[in-house]
Amino acid sequence: MNRKIVFGIIACGAVLAALPWIGVSAFYESFLYLLFHWVILAVSWNILSGYTGYFSFGHGAFFGAGIYGTAYLAGTLGWPFLATLPAAVLLAAALGLAIGAIVFRVARVRGELFALLTLAVTFVLATVILNTPIDGGPGIYLIGVDIPALGPSQASSIYMLGLITATVALLVSYWVYASKFGTGLFAIHDDEDVAEVMGVPTYRYKLYALAISCGLAGLAGGIHSVFVSYVTVSEVFSITVPLSVVLMSILGGSRHWIGPAVGAVVITCLLYYFTSGDSAVLGRAMVGLILVVVILFMPAGILGLVSGWRHVRRNRAAAKAVAEAPRKEHPPAAPVVRLKKAITGEPLLQVRGLSKSFTGVHALSDVTLDVRKGEILGLIGPNGSGKSTFINVVSGHYKPTRGEIIFEGRNLAGQDAHRFAQAGIARTYQIPRPFSHMTVLENVAMVGMFGGEGKSRAEATRDAQAFIEFAGLAHRAHALPDDLNLHQRKFLELARALAARPKLLLLDEVLSGLTPSEINEAIEMVQRIRDRGTTIVFVEHVMRAVMALTDRIVVLNHGVLIAQGNAADVMNEEDVRAAYLGKAHA
Amino acid sequence: MTLPSLSLLSQSILSGVFIGGMYSLIGLGLGLSWGLLRQINLAHFGFVFLSAYLSYHMATVWGLDPLLTLVLLPPLFFAIGVAMQWLLSRFLISPFNSLLVTFGFTVMIESLIQYVWTADFRRLQSGYGEEKFVLGPLYIPVPELLTLVLAVLFAFAIWAAMRFTDLGKAMRAMAEDGPIAAAFGINQRALSLILSGTCVALASIAGICFALTFTLTPTQIFSWVGVVFAVVMLGGLGSALGPLVAGVIVGVSEAVAMAVFAPSWAPLVSFSLLILMLLFRPGKV
Amino acid sequence: MLEVRNLHVAYGAAPALWDLSIRVGTGELVCVVGPNGAGKTTLINTLAGLQRASSGSIIFEGRDITRLAPHKFCQAGIAIVPESRRLFTSMTVLENLELGSFLPEAKARRRETLEQVCELFPAVRQKLAMPAGSLSGGQQQMVAIGRALMARPRLLLLDEPSLGLAPSIVMDMFDAIRRINAEGLSVLLVEQNVSMAMELATRAYVLEEGRIVMEGPARDLMQRPEIRKAYLGLD
Repeated sequence: MNRKIVFGIIACGAVLAALPWIGVSAFYESFLYLLFHWVILAVSWNILSGYTGYFSFGHGAFFGAGIYGTAYLAGTLGWPFLATLPAAVLLAAALGLAIGAIVFRVARVRGELFALLTLAVTFVLATVILNTPIDGGPGIYLIGVDIPALGPSQASSIYMLGLITATVALLVSYWVYASKFGTGLFAIHDDEDVAEVMGVPTYRYKLYALAISCGLAGLAGGIHSVFVSYVTVSEVFSITVPLSVVLMSILGGSRHWIGPAVGAVVITCLLYYFTSGDSAVLGRAMVGLILVVVILFMPAGILGLVSGWRHVRRNRAAAKAVAEAPRKEHPPAAPVVRLKKAITGEPLLQVRGLSKSFTGVHALSDVTLDVRKGEILGLIGPNGSGKSTFINVVSGHYKPTRGEIIFEGRNLAGQDAHRFAQAGIARTYQIPRPFSHMTVLENVAMVGMFGGEGKSRAEATRDAQAFIEFAGLAHRAHALPDDLNLHQRKFLELARALAARPKLLLLDEVLSGLTPSEINEAIEMVQRIRDRGTTIVFVEHVMRAVMALTDRIVVLNHGVLIAQGNAADVMNEEDVRAAYLGKAHA
Repeated sequence: MTLPSLSLLSQSILSGVFIGGMYSLIGLGLGLSWGLLRQINLAHFGFVFLSAYLSYHMATVWGLDPLLTLVLLPPLFFAIGVAMQWLLSRFLISPFNSLLVTFGFTVMIESLIQYVWTADFRRLQSGYGEEKFVLGPLYIPVPELLTLVLAVLFAFAIWAAMRFTDLGKAMRAMAEDGPIAAAFGINQRALSLILSGTCVALASIAGICFALTFTLTPTQIFSWVGVVFAVVMLGGLGSALGPLVAGVIVGVSEAVAMAVFAPSWAPLVSFSLLILMLLFRPGKV
Repeated sequence: MLEVRNLHVAYGAAPALWDLSIRVGTGELVCVVGPNGAGKTTLINTLAGLQRASSGSIIFEGRDITRLAPHKFCQAGIAIVPESRRLFTSMTVLENLELGSFLPEAKARRRETLEQVCELFPAVRQKLAMPAGSLSGGQQQMVAIGRALMARPRLLLLDEPSLGLAPSIVMDMFDAIRRINAEGLSVLLVEQNVSMAMELATRAYVLEEGRIVMEGPARDLMQRPEIRKAYLGLD
């Protein structure tokens, strides 16, 4: 975390706090309050939706929970205003948690379905409030509610409340952005399944993010109720709030901690500029047009555009630095400990009776095998024989239909994938699945934070540098995965898996799609990884690599284990040749 | 809670069926473009209102028969739909971003309506508006009946076209696996232009019915979004008959909730249905 | 009839095929074998218009079709049976077959071709009204081949027709391919099941890591030690 930014936020807040005392007019106080209001709402929305990609259209519901929390407690029941604010926060956060606890369990509710579901929640909440004594129809007046004097006048007190909350919201937004927690959220955004497999407790993280997001929206609502001093269901739960925050965040840049605040300021000013006077209608049309243009031409938003430029510059600089550095034949490999002879009979992983079916298709049937400490076990078989399913089940990505996965004596079957990663199992994907919005360095560091024992962000970033060098990607450390060629992406997969410092590494066709010389390079690298003491399960079709690398091989066919043992012996077995070349030739 | 009389209950069920017809007529084009083009076209609602205002204008200011607008407006809106699809397909837009872009269009349409017709209430004055049949104890207003008839007609027409014509089959194939459909000679680009045009033309038909039935005001655009989305998702994306069935179910359950409890409880029905549906049958969406 | 010259194909920055040249003569059954990931599917997809070539040319019946729009390849006379079948699973078998004959020329002879397909695969006739997704793997493969035949192509591209099928059904499938070819249709077959494919083919190419490494009459190739090495890793 950058201290300068934290101080910067607080300093800005302090400067703005002086305004009411130097005689700014009530009109500007109100206008600035509205700015703060939208900043809080947009920034809070972004903590869940921008960071994780779970776009919510239900922000109005959480904002409304806060507004009605305060309105009912202060306006109807006569609580002191300040006491209602924590209640508003808790109410909104509890509502969010209750919804999230159900919705995040249903894996299919992502993307537009999540957006619609949260929108529907808003309407349900509105109907309930409208028809119960909370509101009952006529709305609630807060005229008589006393606001603690934080400034020279009533308007400036509300201004101060808005300012304090906006500062807090920005601090929270930055803290999440710069923390390990935030890294986990960004990983969820790019590829939730991979994030879970790399060790991010996705369910819990999404809930936390939602709770923070809702709590801040509730606070904004609580304060806003005294600003408007008369709340009605149709105003509070209109579609304006959710759509405005989406627009503001996207315009500003939803992957940035301050992006939504920038968007909120721009839009609020634009709306004010256009809608004051005769051109109100034109103003709304302009907002619509801006939205269309932004989505079509700069989907990453204002700050996304800016950080895109900065990123290109850094990338060039890094590539240049490496190009100018004296060339070394071999990259300085991470400390090599020769452990080649350390293969003991002791099993690291015991798979017992493992089966996996997909709607009636048996991808794996009753597979039992041991992976011994320190060995490279080749896992081979024709297309569709169940190799990838095996990797997916043993990395926790799929839950097995039956059977046990005993890793270091502990049965992991049925647990969430992040537990597998934390236990010390890492994997690569046949088709590389890097987090597409993170640089190479961030991709690797992220795994160090969440895989295995889990390091701090700073430590993981330092480590990541070494693994990137090991994989020969030092000159691309600040590149985005999309800018890498397939060969580099494959090595990024490797570097990422290694960053978890796994006890067991599952390699899924790391060589497919590489040229012969690249394959040689990769074989050498796998050897070096094993020499450092990592046990490897190696799925591969390139047979010369299988022959060169493996201590033992296991052959699958139609999901059944048909042979295991020394590679040359196994490949001469009748069944194996039949499986590979067809019956006629065997 | 007091139980309403039998005749009141049957009258409200009937009006539920009618409003269900409106829901499904609006939802038909929306669901087709969502299911087959993977676009969530919020502007659909904008087009419904634009068409409603245009038919109001033609009928009230120019003195045309509202039924004549049923012939004039759909071709115009077809062209708009084609143009919109042309724009969106140039940018390879994701379903989610299509939602945001078309929201932008909707805001622009809303402003246009406000600019031309102001925010005042407008009512299409025609001979049809006030006409009613009396059937025993029940009143059957003509515009609502027309809406229902058109909703049923178009739902079945689209259903038949999807089922029995090569073009319709090609559209379903394109939605399922575009590249393979192309490998068998199906021109995806042309087909999506036609489909988008059709959906927007359907929006204009819904709009004309809307103008015959309801009083118009531009801010109303967004109040229909929620419930029609619920109907479309309940009915199944890309389905022609689904929205009709779902529309009537939602319409009737709302009407009964209104009659038994209070009118303001009605939204609870459709949105609770939608939430349950999203949670427990997500595979169908 | 098909002549592929110096074809390069890449996914983004990642090349998948390098400088590949192959030829299929009229009435020939040519087979491309090679281990997984060698680029076989990329080759088939490029020839069917599903994937764009980055350079090189595809000449079909004397006409350069490299830059045609994807939906024009079928019109040119090429039909594909894609890897893992890719039927329109929510539609009926009959609808799948009808879509094969979407283009006017094929549509004119739809009835006749449908009858031929049903004769070739009698099992399909009973399933015409069923949703394609409800069929077994073997039946789906028959429908996929049937769908391609409905287009009345002059070149049939087959991508791993034996994938995921039980051995006895694989035999039937190859038998059907043999009959299709015997009626004069040129076939380009991509297979993992080398020995079956080689028995069927007149000529074969071996594709490894994106390049053609060997070509020749199928029976000769099967005897070559390189095949055993590529597939089994045995010297």
